[in-house]
Amino acid sequence: MASATVPTLTLVRLCAMQELRLSVRSRWTQIFAVVFAGLALAVAASGYVLSGGSGLQDFSRTAASLVELVLILVPLTALVFGVMALTPDAGAAELLYSQPVPRPTILLGKLAGLCLALVASQAVGFGAAGLLLFWRSGADGVMGFIGVVAGSFVLTAVFLALAAALTAGATSTRRAHHLAVALVLWFLAIVLFDVVALGVASLLRSGTASRLLMVAVIVNPVDAVRTATLLAVEGTTAFGAASLAFLRMTGGALGAGLYLAASVIAWVLLPLIVAVVRVRRADI
Amino acid sequence: MITFREFAKTFAGVHAVHDLSFVVEPGEVVALLGPNGSGKTTSIKAAAGLIRPSRGTVLIGEPGRPSTEAAARQACSFLPQRVTFPESLTGREVAEFYCRLRGRGADRIQEVMALTGLNGSSARAVGTYSGGMTQRLGLAVAMAAQAPILLLDEPTAALDPDGTCAFYALVESRRAHQQTVLFSSHQMGDVERLADRFAVLVEGRLVASFTARELTTHLADRGVMKVTVEELPHDALTSVRSLAPKAVVAADQIIVPGAASVRLAVLDVLREHGVGIRGWSAEEGRLDAFYRELVGEAR
Repeated sequence: MASATVPTLTLVRLCAMQELRLSVRSRWTQIFAVVFAGLALAVAASGYVLSGGSGLQDFSRTAASLVELVLILVPLTALVFGVMALTPDAGAAELLYSQPVPRPTILLGKLAGLCLALVASQAVGFGAAGLLLFWRSGADGVMGFIGVVAGSFVLTAVFLALAAALTAGATSTRRAHHLAVALVLWFLAIVLFDVVALGVASLLRSGTASRLLMVAVIVNPVDAVRTATLLAVEGTTAFGAASLAFLRMTGGALGAGLYLAASVIAWVLLPLIVAVVRVRRADI
Repeated sequence: MITFREFAKTFAGVHAVHDLSFVVEPGEVVALLGPNGSGKTTSIKAAAGLIRPSRGTVLIGEPGRPSTEAAARQACSFLPQRVTFPESLTGREVAEFYCRLRGRGADRIQEVMALTGLNGSSARAVGTYSGGMTQRLGLAVAMAAQAPILLLDEPTAALDPDGTCAFYALVESRRAHQQTVLFSSHQMGDVERLADRFAVLVEGRLVASFTARELTTHLADRGVMKVTVEELPHDALTSVRSLAPKAVVAADQIIVPGAASVRLAVLDVLREHGVGIRGWSAEEGRLDAFYRELVGEAR
């Protein structure tokens, strides 16, 4: 008895909704939402605490302080969550991939569901904190805060795509290995890349060093999001030498924004292409 | 129809299957037999489109399409050896998801849940299911697909007697509808009861393939007759040995292995020699013994 042919978008939606349902029921997603809310509130409160006062900072200050924490935590959560969800038990993967659905459709659907779940968890967490900040300090600088949250969403998409490239077609037997690789990747992107870039730049002549640092801003998605978010939160006042050089090279904020957008789009698309190729070739 | 054409698969330099050429005809129920690591799972997973051949092809339907194409998998429903489901989903949610992936409504879910004995548990989270219930849910998903080809990898391994009955009912209903079933099993009872044809794999090679009728002949040829006699004169023993060289005499009993015709001929010879027969019994060969013989010869 023949089945009806299901449109590809419907299949993607089915897989995405299934993954979203699983993620929403996962305790980890709920914990992430609480952690993001707690983090934003702790950052908002800590500014005055450190200066001997009490109460919550406004949106601008909170956003500026929150950026670095988001840059560290969001890639880590996206990578770990992605690896865990995209390396199912062999029996589950075999049943799913034996269905009459192209493998990339399943993978993209699962990724979309995961991304929605993590973005929703951040939206709930940051949103709850944002409501409290609005109640206590008003709406001043709210766009900067929204910029940080948007940066957080972008980083989620980038690092979920990287998790997909890493794990495409894998099952839980390789989960520990992939988690270890994901942690190395996170360390490279968050810590080592900047240290190496700055170290190498310090050995070069000024012009060459500037160019290297400019390229570094685009090459590393974390730096690209950092630069874009700082641009959104504080304009160019928070920029260091590399970012200022980057701004000059790209002809101002708009040009820089376009370069940074292209960088993060590439960092989503390229890993996705790798993931699709790998999942097509994989033996499951 | 499933066509393995010189199918070979190598994993990291290890040959799992060598040049398997084999056709499962439409409407056939075929059992894949073989020791652990003989390539049964690899072959079934290749038919389910999960494993890409290192060489050769695995085609589904007529005209054949490579099993790795999603369109070919529309014709197949596969149940893995150790099926698992996300623990936070209910049985019904699992079945609905797989029905929708095939563009089917959820109208059959109630029926397959009842057939697999899960009707009372369909609203429970899969995480609360036992291993046998999880396997039954896998069976329900396979049944709900209503695909013309069913691929089952050791389907009864974790099933209790009720689940096994549900599996038998599934295969019998497929046979009644002229649908194709390819399954692997170590349970000789399942195999003998269900299969129209048997294929034996050893170390990745197909070493034997025979129909149920041919199996009956093979097993009859491997029968044993035990005759209890009052006395056995030397000339009668000589005549028995000429007919059945492997016959053994132990006290007052003659044990005659071999085909039914040989065993009957031995009885006739004993009667011709006037040997008093106090009693006799005969049993056909057993599939497990025949299987061990095939595996032993192939190694």
